[in-house]
Amino acid sequence: MKQNRLWAWIIIALAAIYFIVPLIATFIFSLRMRRGVLSFDSYVSVFSDPRFFSSFGYSLGIGAFTIVLGVLVVVPAVYYVRLRMPWLRPVMEFVTLLPLVIPALVLVYGYIRLYNSSSWIPFTGSVIGTDILLICACMTLALPYMYRAVDTGMRTIDINTLTEAAQILGASQWTILSRIVFPNIFVAVLSGAFLTLAIVIGEFTIASLLNRPTFGPYLVTVGTNRAYEPSALAIISLLVTWGAMGMIQLLARFAPKTARKD
Amino acid sequence: MAEEFLRIEKLVKAFGANQVVKSVDLSFNKGEFISLLGPSGCGKTTILRMIAGFERPTSGNIFVDGREITNLTPNRRNIGMVFQAYALFPNMTVFDNVAFGLKVAGKPKAEIAPRVAEMLKLIHLEQLADRYPYQMSGGQQQRVALARALAPSPRMLLLDEPLSALDAKIRVSLREQIREIQQNLGITTVFVTHDQEEALSISDRIVVMNAGRADQVGTPSDIYNRPATRFVASFVGTLNIIDATVVDPAANTIRIGDGVITLREPIGALKGGDKVSVALRPEAGSLSESATGDTALTGTVVSSHFLGSVVRTKFDVGGNQISFDMFNAPDKVLPQPGETVTLRFAAGDLLLIKD
Ligand SMILES: Nc1ncnc2c1ncn2[C@@H]1O[C@H](COP(=O)(O)OP(=O)(O)OP(=O)(O)O)[C@@H](O)[C@H]1O
Ligand SMILES: [Mg+2]
Repeated sequence: MKQNRLWAWIIIALAAIYFIVPLIATFIFSLRMRRGVLSFDSYVSVFSDPRFFSSFGYSLGIGAFTIVLGVLVVVPAVYYVRLRMPWLRPVMEFVTLLPLVIPALVLVYGYIRLYNSSSWIPFTGSVIGTDILLICACMTLALPYMYRAVDTGMRTIDINTLTEAAQILGASQWTILSRIVFPNIFVAVLSGAFLTLAIVIGEFTIASLLNRPTFGPYLVTVGTNRAYEPSALAIISLLVTWGAMGMIQLLARFAPKTARKD
Repeated sequence: MAEEFLRIEKLVKAFGANQVVKSVDLSFNKGEFISLLGPSGCGKTTILRMIAGFERPTSGNIFVDGREITNLTPNRRNIGMVFQAYALFPNMTVFDNVAFGLKVAGKPKAEIAPRVAEMLKLIHLEQLADRYPYQMSGGQQQRVALARALAPSPRMLLLDEPLSALDAKIRVSLREQIREIQQNLGITTVFVTHDQEEALSISDRIVVMNAGRADQVGTPSDIYNRPATRFVASFVGTLNIIDATVVDPAANTIRIGDGVITLREPIGALKGGDKVSVALRPEAGSLSESATGDTALTGTVVSSHFLGSVVRTKFDVGGNQISFDMFNAPDKVLPQPGETVTLRFAAGDLLLIKD
């Protein structure tokens, strides 16, 4: 017993070192901009760059639309497959895994071929059109995570019986989805939304090939041209990520109560 | 004759090649409490789900109050239903669960609150309006489910084994509550169960189902005292089914073991030597030596069990094991295995049954 405990602690300590040391190193490096002393100069520099805010804000906007689109597509799809076509589930599993297997580059080249400004559907011909393409592409990239989050959430409730109980009380399909299914998987949707946001904020390939000013290409530009700012940016994104995780925990606490799990 | 409310005509349901409901015809009156009773897999739930609209009949028709509802979607049938697994909405409080049907129907807020309060009072849970389902016991949840089903004033109530997930004590008290509420509201109710005692104790009429068919429809007393088929006799109650041979159809005599007995009901179109089954209730007759009954069976005691208020004795007559119950008394001497006993009873207690 004791022996096991010791090993457990050693492994935890090793893992902690593996994760924390680079973080500390990055953080200290980001404080070294002014020669000889530790200072927050690099952070000041990052925050005084208007492109930081514009690209980050732009990415947040794209992220918000991506989440809405993802929820609107995934929640009803998972619901109906579970309810009416359970035999389709393996196919869904496979299809939603494809974005992890096929490089984003392939997707975006396909988009550009199909929707370029001289094609029948010239999405790339306008800013709005390109943004729509970007949102669709991000939704596809986030699909594996959104699908799994929603599917797991849906597994914790008895969708079939709840649907029937609501139907016999007179509810329409839309009422069932919005008042019963969605509130019961809210926490799961939230974690899917968070993962989607993380993907959108870090996304580089598609945004740069569609030439949209998102946070990803900005990070790369800064990374190749500056010394200390990239480290500062890395620390900032980490804090944002942790903040978002904290928000999920907080929101989950206020979320509607779901069935007792015993 | 009371007015007909629910009519089921030649109802058939097949899942692929598997015919689960085989041409069932039923007719029930307004305000009746009907139980569908039968063993697991006999198609009770399937019939209920067709009445609710969750399954589409392969053929046949369902009428409620004179109108055909066979192809109506469930949300347009105005029927209340209670499920075995409670199926309360986990994200809503008791109040919101009960109010759901009213909200969906577009009732104004000022009407919803008093109606929900009335329903909660009906099930004696006024003080739990703000609880979530996971904060309540199974019995409480099922009462809320009942209130939720009744709140929109449905034309009919369907209950699919609503008590089977509960423990024995609650099961009995809740079934009495359900019956009381049903009688007060006068709502036509179809109750599915595989528990014969449950069905016998609360129904106006019982439909005994056997492998997709309705074997017998009748009052609890009919079903228990005059089972129409061997299946009904063996499934309902603890009736003894005794194999016998016809001796003389004209004289209504049959042979059980070594004894010849005269039946009161006519044997009908059978010849001497034909096999028949007769049923005998375990509480019929007595073990007395004096001739209190007009007929008797003599056999050897196999076992004797003390069951509290009654003592159940099994004795063997020509290969038939016959159970016999007598009331317990402090000075009662239990018949011992191996002893020879004579059971006396009225000839009218022996019922001829179809296979
Ligand atoms: N959706 C379905 N697809 C295929 N077969 C089904 C389906 N629903 C029910 N069955 C079959 O129909 C038969 C009757 O089922 P049903 O649920 O009506 O029985 P039941 O009398 O309610 O039994 P229980 O007491 O176990 O609930 C069973 O053999 C079952 O396997
Ligand atoms: Mg059933």
